Formats: sequence, structure tokens, C-alpha cells
Amino acid sequence: MSNKPVQEEGKSILPTWIKGPQDFIGGLALVALALFALWASRDLQGMHGFSFGAGTAPRMFSVLLLGLGAAIAAVGVLSEGAHLAKYHWRGPLFVTLAILSFALTIRPMGMIFAAMTSFLIAACGSAETRWTETVIVGACLTAFCSLLFPYALGLPLQLLPTFLIR
Amino acid sequence: MGDLFSNLGLGFGVVFNLVQWSPAFLGGMSIPIPVNILLCLIGALVGTLVGVLPGIGTIATVAMLLPITFGLPPVGALIMLAGIYYGAQYGGSTTSILVNIPGEAGSVVTALDGFQMAKQGRAGPALAIAAIGSFFAGCVATVLIAVLGAPLTRVALAFGPAEYFSLMVLGLIFAVVLAKGSVLKAIAMIVLGLLLSMVGSDIETGASRMAFNIPELADGLGFATVAMGLFGFAEIIRNLDTGGESDRELVQQKVSGLMPTAKDLKDSTPAVLRGTVLGSILGILPGGGAVIASFAAYTLEKKISRTPSRFGRGAIEGVAAPESANNAAAQTSFIPLLTLGIPPNAVMALMVGAMTIHGIVPGPQVMQKQPELVWGMIASMWVGNLMLLVINLPLVGIWVRLLRVPYRLMFPSIVIFCSIGIYSVNNAPVDVMLAGAFGIVGYWLIKHDFEPAPLLLGMVLGPLMEENLRRALLISRGDWSVFITRPLSAVLMLIAATLLVLAVLPSLRKKRDEVFVESEN
Repeated sequence: MSNKPVQEEGKSILPTWIKGPQDFIGGLALVALALFALWASRDLQGMHGFSFGAGTAPRMFSVLLLGLGAAIAAVGVLSEGAHLAKYHWRGPLFVTLAILSFALTIRPMGMIFAAMTSFLIAACGSAETRWTETVIVGACLTAFCSLLFPYALGLPLQLLPTFLIR
Repeated sequence: MGDLFSNLGLGFGVVFNLVQWSPAFLGGMSIPIPVNILLCLIGALVGTLVGVLPGIGTIATVAMLLPITFGLPPVGALIMLAGIYYGAQYGGSTTSILVNIPGEAGSVVTALDGFQMAKQGRAGPALAIAAIGSFFAGCVATVLIAVLGAPLTRVALAFGPAEYFSLMVLGLIFAVVLAKGSVLKAIAMIVLGLLLSMVGSDIETGASRMAFNIPELADGLGFATVAMGLFGFAEIIRNLDTGGESDRELVQQKVSGLMPTAKDLKDSTPAVLRGTVLGSILGILPGGGAVIASFAAYTLEKKISRTPSRFGRGAIEGVAAPESANNAAAQTSFIPLLTLGIPPNAVMALMVGAMTIHGIVPGPQVMQKQPELVWGMIASMWVGNLMLLVINLPLVGIWVRLLRVPYRLMFPSIVIFCSIGIYSVNNAPVDVMLAGAFGIVGYWLIKHDFEPAPLLLGMVLGPLMEENLRRALLISRGDWSVFITRPLSAVLMLIAATLLVLAVLPSLRKKRDEVFVESEN
């Protein structure tokens, strides 16, 4: 497996008494999430009599998650575990940008534009990208999707930019 | 027995249903078209096509292709999805045999001996045995589903809310125990899934919960959105980390000589039989499924073999057993879904998502009210398996060529395809952004060694659990002991508790890990 954490000596910012940083951080994040959920559901009605209110189940699950997250963090402190995995920024950044660009352009610009642009943005995510073939494949894929989704599958997708149609 | 045949008859009737197609250019003439068989065929083909792509697992494949079935009528959509599922699985084993990159967790063990066989120039027999074993297992599993379907449905109808709740708890515990990795972390993921399923409006009061006044969240997080983010986008980002092609070691020889020799067949027959039995049992268990089945079958074969040293060096049993087991389990895992309405694993959770989108609430009522849907699907499984056998072996050449598509071109294509798919569900750009966010979340989870599959399961079961918990407590007038005073519920809870205790006991945990570690030695 390639996602095994890389041991990086002397680079860890966490104190040494934390033996399993991966679990420790993971558990803490779950605790934070649980606290956030508790805060988000603070206004919901709780139990009245013996029937559940809207907020009962969310709060129940939040508290459960809080406990589990704390337990995972505790395990991370007490037992030897994996170090933090190495993050890469290039892939996640460009894939996210591509998705965002698609979401923002699909309505005003239509599918052909949105698909092609976000294909090119996503392609920046890899250092191995060769531009000529990327552009050709992107164009072919856009053409394929423009036929597949609206025509073959009958989904109501707008192909061209709104300002051209009007 | 009579019931069984009439039910299966109904099912095959649905599958072989002909629709008269009279296009204008034929001038009034009409051509009968077996629509459902075609859908099954397309599903199996497309599923294999995507499943073959390295690094895309079964769950990701089904999630990605979910949107293309939305426009179909419910029966057709489910038949096609089932086809996609087997296709993806079969595609996964093709990849692991030919490239040593298992497309999905279920075929990790297939890669051990399959790839060795391929290196020895015996890729053909390995692929053929995988297909034949899968087909045999598929036939047995189809019959098993047909036999168990009706009686289990009757049991399910006798269930009250308390029993249902306990059953779901048991299912989730099973999922944790049978999964790989830390029990604690898997439970945490389930609870996170349950919590995420709470977003949206409350079923009873209609109050908006944790939706932050975002209109797109008012109906809750879309299931397809989350699945696509966690499995589609997150996988892409993760694969980009590893550089994609650097470690791809494709068998370069031409795949020739598909047919296994008589000795191969003789060696693998008992393995196929054992794999089928083991897989069928593990598939029915809630929380079970293809992954654990193939690991267990491989371990069993190695344990009982007279020459265990051959394993890992191209033993054909090491391909036959896990492949049969994983296909048997893939199918029998439909049993809890169709009869009890409870998805036992993440792929079945996606099936629930698909059913819900078509307005079907899975459960015992479906079996009674829409028998043609359930039995049609069951019959289509057999047809789907037959098609895999017929189409895949001749098409191996094409799949091999697909494996050569470089990742640098594949991943932007997947990003676009997923984005369009998610957008087309509700025509909502916000959904695409949410999926992107879940992609990042999924990447983070993978980096911290959290499995996203239990999260998905929790998300599907969340609303069901809440509803049944509420009802059970309302009926018992707030008395929590109802879960242990009703006999059936008490038994289920007891099994769940025992399992959980066993799972955290050090000795048993070691055994469990052994099954999974097998692949790394």
C-alpha cells in the first residue's frame, strides 16, 4: 500500500509523549466535529415526555461521537501508532478547483464550457500531464458527455452558455 | 417449492419482457426488444469497463454510474445497477490478475496468485477460472436468494420497531467486526454517518436540523453526493498522491490460450465449491460481503491445502476460491436488503439510495407489493452472471488495452464524469460543491486510516434507526428496557454485544487480523 505514512524524523510538531499522532489528530477532529454538531443542534427541541424531539437523535449521536473521538485520541496518546501521513497539495488543490469551477460555470455557461474548463484545470493536478493529448482527450470527452447525458440518457442539461441561447 | 418456481417464473418473465418498439421510419412495423436484458447487458459491460480502470473500486464504480440509471423505470434501473455491480467486481479481478493492482478490496487476494499466474504466461486460464468460478457461485447464490427470500420476508413482517432497531444495531456491529482495521475507528465512522444523516428536516416534526438555512440541505445530504465525494473524488486525489503510473507493472505478454487445462479444472473444482459455500454464508450476514468472503476463502484454501507453499506462486486454487466466494457473497448480500430492507454493506447502501430515488422503500413490503421488482432483479442476477461469462472472456483484449490508458488522462475524465453525474441528480450546483467537500473529507479520512465504507452504511441506516427507535420508545411509553425484554430483540442485542466483546478481545482480534494480513506476506 502506498498510503502508508512516511516516517519523518524531527519534523513532527507534536510533543513526543503522543505515541500515535495519526490517531490522536483523527480523534481530536472527531471530537471537534461532535462539538460543532452539538452547537448546531442546540436550538432543536429535546425530549418531551417519552417521545423524541427533533434534537434528541442528533444530540445522542453527537455525544456518542464525542466519546468515540476522545477514545481514539486517548489510544493515540497511549499506544504506539502511525505517524501523520504526508499530504500532497497539488492533486487535492487542482481537483477541488476543477470541481468548483464546474459548479460555478455549469449554470451560466452550459455543459460544454464547464466540462472542458474543469477538465483542463483538473489536468494541472498531475505533473505528468502533456498538454496536446490532454486537450484532445478533453474535447473528445466533452463531446461524448454532451451526447450521453442530454440525448442518450434524456437528462435536462443545458449545453450552451445561457447568453447564446437567449 | 411451487412458490419458488412461480416466483422465479415471474422474475424471468420480467427479465425477458419484450417491449414493442415501433419507430416512425419503419412505417408502423414494430420490433420486439428485450429491454431489461439489454439494460442488464449494458450494465455489466459498463460496470466492467469502469471497474477495470485501476484504482476505482466497486463502490466508486456503482456510485459514479448511479446517475445514468435515474432516467429509467425502477425495475430497469435496478437491473442495470445490479449488472454494473457484478461487472465492476469482475473488472476488479481482471485488473488484479493482469496488473497486480486490485481495483477493489475484494480482489486483493486474487492478485496474489492471479498475477503470478499471469507472469508465468497463464493469465488466460486465471481469467477463465475466475469467470467460471464466479458464474457457478452466481448460480448457486441466485437459487439461494430465491429460496430464502420468501421465508425471511415473513420473519421480517413479524418484526416490530424494537426488533428492527436491534437488527440494525446487530448489522452495524457485524459490519465493524468483519471489516479491516480498528474496531473503535470503524464504530466512530458509523456514528459519524448516523450524525450526517440527521442533517435535513426531521421526519416527524419537519423541523430543520443542522441545515444552516441552506436550501439544498433542507432535504438532507444527498446520498449520491456523499458517496460520489467519498469514493469518487477522494480516490482520485489519493491516487494522484502515489503518482499514478509509477508502480504499474502490466503483464506485457499477449493473453493467449484462454482455456484452462483439465488439471486446472480438477484442481479448482473443490476450491470453487468451498468458496461458493463460504461466500454465500458470509454474504448473508449483515455487515458481510465480498471483501471478507474472498479473504476468508483464500485463507481456508491455504490452510487445508496439502502444499500451502504453492500459494502466492500461482496456485490456481488461490484464484478460484476467492473469486467464487466474492461473487457468491456479492449476490447473497442482496438477501438482507431485499427481505429486511437493511443494507449489509456499502454497495447495498448505494442500492438503497437508488431505490429511494425511485420512490421505493426497501423492506419486506416491497417483496409483497412489488414482487415483479424483486423477482425481476433476482432473475436478472443469473442472467447478468451468464452475460459476464459470455462477454468478458472474448473481450479480455479490450480490457487489457483499457488498462494501458494513462492515469494522467483518466483522472480528469473521472472528475468531469462525476461532476456531471452529481449535477444531473437535482440540477443543483451546490451538490457538486458538496461532493467536492466530501472528496476532501474522504482524503483526510484515508490519511488518518479511517474507512469511509462504514460511514456510508451509517448514513443510510441513520433515518431508519431513528424512526424505529422513536417508535419503539413511543410504544413502550419511554421504557428503554423494551430492547431487552422483547425476546427476539433481546437475542439480537445479545449477539451484537457478544460480537463486540469478542472483537475487542486480543486473541480473536489477532485471528481476524491474520485473515487480512494474509495478503501482505
